[in-house]
Amino acid sequence: MIAVIGLVIGVVGGLLLQPTVPVELQPYLPIAVVAALDALFGGLRAMLDGIFDDRVFLISFLSNVVVAALIVFLGDQLGVGTQLSTAVVVVLGIRIFSNAAAIRRHLFKA
Amino acid sequence: MNPRHGSSEPPRSLDESMTLLTEVYRRPLDPGYAEATARRAAGTGPRRTWRSTAGLVALAMGLGLGATAATLALRQPAGAVLAARELLEAQIEQRSSEADDVQAEITAMTDEIAMLQEELLGDEGQSVRDEIDADSVQSGVTAVTGPGLRLELTDAPSDNPDEEDPELRVQDVDLQVVVNGLWAAGAEAIAVNGQRLTAMTAIRSAGDAVLVDLVALSSPYTVEAVGDAAGMQTELARASAGQHLATLRTTYGIGVQMTSQSRLELPGTGLVTLHEAGVPDASAAPEPEAGAGGGAPEQRLVAGSAGQTRRDGT
Repeated sequence: MIAVIGLVIGVVGGLLLQPTVPVELQPYLPIAVVAALDALFGGLRAMLDGIFDDRVFLISFLSNVVVAALIVFLGDQLGVGTQLSTAVVVVLGIRIFSNAAAIRRHLFKA
Repeated sequence: MNPRHGSSEPPRSLDESMTLLTEVYRRPLDPGYAEATARRAAGTGPRRTWRSTAGLVALAMGLGLGATAATLALRQPAGAVLAARELLEAQIEQRSSEADDVQAEITAMTDEIAMLQEELLGDEGQSVRDEIDADSVQSGVTAVTGPGLRLELTDAPSDNPDEEDPELRVQDVDLQVVVNGLWAAGAEAIAVNGQRLTAMTAIRSAGDAVLVDLVALSSPYTVEAVGDAAGMQTELARASAGQHLATLRTTYGIGVQMTSQSRLELPGTGLVTLHEAGVPDASAAPEPEAGAGGGAPEQRLVAGSAGQTRRDGT
């Protein structure tokens, strides 16, 4: 639960402070946000499954974002940035979908 | 994999080639959660100390802050780009309407000038009026219709579209030669792709484009000349312009098509720019008449790359 509280504080702080992201990081933001969404949905499902763990949630969140950004960076360096981005979005999208479906089954029993 | 030979290998699953997708789809939840739960149940999980909790909270806050910043940054540029675009659109519309207003003003003033001229000349000024009409055709101010010659120059087809050879393209020099040849052959009025040529017109190139009167044109170039079609055709063939056209066709593969037309409509420029003016006195009086009557050859010069030729002020 600590992780969720910390995250909420961080989001509120971000909304209040409106920090600016360095321009060099801008290309990695879309993929990083998708990866963060994936971690969020995973955490929500784990919570509903009753196996939520602060450490696993936060570390998976962080590593997801970093790896996603790293893949985009690598892709850009190799000249296949858009293709790799598409691949990451497809994989993460499928995961988000199945996790969302599991959450839906938990909440609505349907 | 013949079943009769009793292969010892297990049968391949149908979706073996899609293990990645199956893995992603069937186990969307991070296995870490299950492992952590198992460790906790077994009592081997890491001890939750004060320090690790603080670290987790700090990490969570940092991630929340970062995610919010990223989301805000992603949303912001779209708005800025949209605003800039709307501003540009508004400016374009405003300037276009301004240009339309000015154009309407020009038309109205031209009409007024024509009316005043008419008034001033009265009934006696018929000869002057004829002269003005003739001059305005020569200077390209008024639109002209009549029989004439139509020449179409097309860029040669390129084998390699990536590497364009300027030699295969119609260049400003070619158009200059053709137009000057047509003037020499007795053309009364010439237009290139609907751009009427006057004494002040320059044909030149800027980069890959051919500019006629600072308007960029592209292949195919249609040169229309009003005049005696048959006479111009023979004159053109006899002059050096004809040889130039033949070279273009045979050596470079540039398409040259010459047709005589019974009716050509050439637009006028509608504008006269006054460069020099003076009050005529007795000694200077005969000069403009001579210029108006036989001034055609000087006026029919088309400037080359250097820029514009200057017509003598009359």
